[in-house]
Amino acid sequence: MAHEKSRNLKLNLTDILVTIVIALVFGLVFRLMGPVYDLVQPLGIHLDALLYGIWFIAAPFAALLIRKPGVAFLAETAAALAEMLFAGSGGVINLYYGLLQGAFSEAIFAAWRYKKFSIGVASLSAFAALIASIILDAGYAYLPLLAGWNLILYIVFRLIGSILLSGLFPYALVKGLEKTGVTQSLRPVTKEDYDVLK
Amino acid sequence: MDTVWGNTNKLFFKVNPSLKFLLVSSLFILYLFVTNLNTMIWTALLFFILYFFVGGLSGKWSFWFVILTLIVSLFSASAMIFFGKGSSVLFQKGLILITRESLARGILLGLRTFTFSLIGMVFATTTQPVPFFYSLMQQLNVPARYAYGFMAAFRMIPMMAEEFVKIRQAMRVRGMNRQKGLNEFCKRMTRYCISMLAQSIRRAQRTAIAMEAKRFSMTAERTYYYKINWSKKDIYFVLIIFCTVTLGFVLSNVLPITPYTNVLDH
Repeated sequence: MAHEKSRNLKLNLTDILVTIVIALVFGLVFRLMGPVYDLVQPLGIHLDALLYGIWFIAAPFAALLIRKPGVAFLAETAAALAEMLFAGSGGVINLYYGLLQGAFSEAIFAAWRYKKFSIGVASLSAFAALIASIILDAGYAYLPLLAGWNLILYIVFRLIGSILLSGLFPYALVKGLEKTGVTQSLRPVTKEDYDVLK
Repeated sequence: MDTVWGNTNKLFFKVNPSLKFLLVSSLFILYLFVTNLNTMIWTALLFFILYFFVGGLSGKWSFWFVILTLIVSLFSASAMIFFGKGSSVLFQKGLILITRESLARGILLGLRTFTFSLIGMVFATTTQPVPFFYSLMQQLNVPARYAYGFMAAFRMIPMMAEEFVKIRQAMRVRGMNRQKGLNEFCKRMTRYCISMLAQSIRRAQRTAIAMEAKRFSMTAERTYYYKINWSKKDIYFVLIIFCTVTLGFVLSNVLPITPYTNVLDH
């Protein structure tokens, strides 16, 4: 019983700092990806949507790494704020997208009560962020007024991109980081960890 | 690098960062509901003019930035222009169907993105991270751990850049950059990502432990090295933005350039 309680899920300074550092790294990546994304847009057939998924990566990556409530939301929002401060294209738009995408990603990890961090949950969180982006795009970019086939292309491309770049990719990255040993000191202590000590 | 930044003595550098942040953010909500093409044209034009007066970059950089942003913003509207719904056809070939309605809508979207990019650029080039986060703590009561977290993280960027150069040199000296092919490329990217991330995480952890060892954020009351206050300049700032926004709406009614007052109509 004491073990259950000792699974301390409150964010401490280390968690916050690690999350923000990661977010800043991704903010920089977003800023640098911006021009690439812009350049594939003019064809109008949504090749850019394949790349769009990279913008969802901060939330699942941070959540898989630190495994505490609030981390996904903080990471995505902080990355969006960083992109805005680095003068990314779109400016203030990024912040709103980041806020909503982070909240949707977070909801998926919350739905599993922060106990399951599998590749499936990571992909679902990327999917949730995708839904968030589509909700905002529907209002901002008037999606319903696109021709039907074009809209489907847009959604399919964005789905493929988001699962690959923000579901599987962060999972693989975190798996790689686990081998280096840095993750051990970040994650909340679980019952199994105490059992090892017996 | 000294030619990148223009005159840093301008008004917008001295405005309270929190106020600037909140006002800039609220403009997004406002223009989200604008469907009048004329309003957007005038607004884009006015913010374009404003940008040259208040932006932080020097002339040459500003010019190229604005040109690129305008082109890129219109790119982002290309899907709507080429494949949007509409009834009065202007051009049709294969799947491409440009209608009056979709063209108007596309231009509105492009100009809106352009306007936000300009506003974002004004914000980003006139706001320094340290005063910004100090102001967030003092005016908006953002918890110190988050604000200082950001400031500490910003300090780590140059270290990361240095580290990146070192890793690249280390790989080159071992001949690890010579293999060709997609598979090798992916492996190399993973190597960079993992080593950079692992180092950054370790550094963040060490920093956090050092901060806690010095009793960081242990007390509720804290003092600040920099005091960010309000000034008369904040009023000028609000007035300038307010006038720009209002003028955009007024001019679109007085001098409409196009007949599209609501691009959502069919």
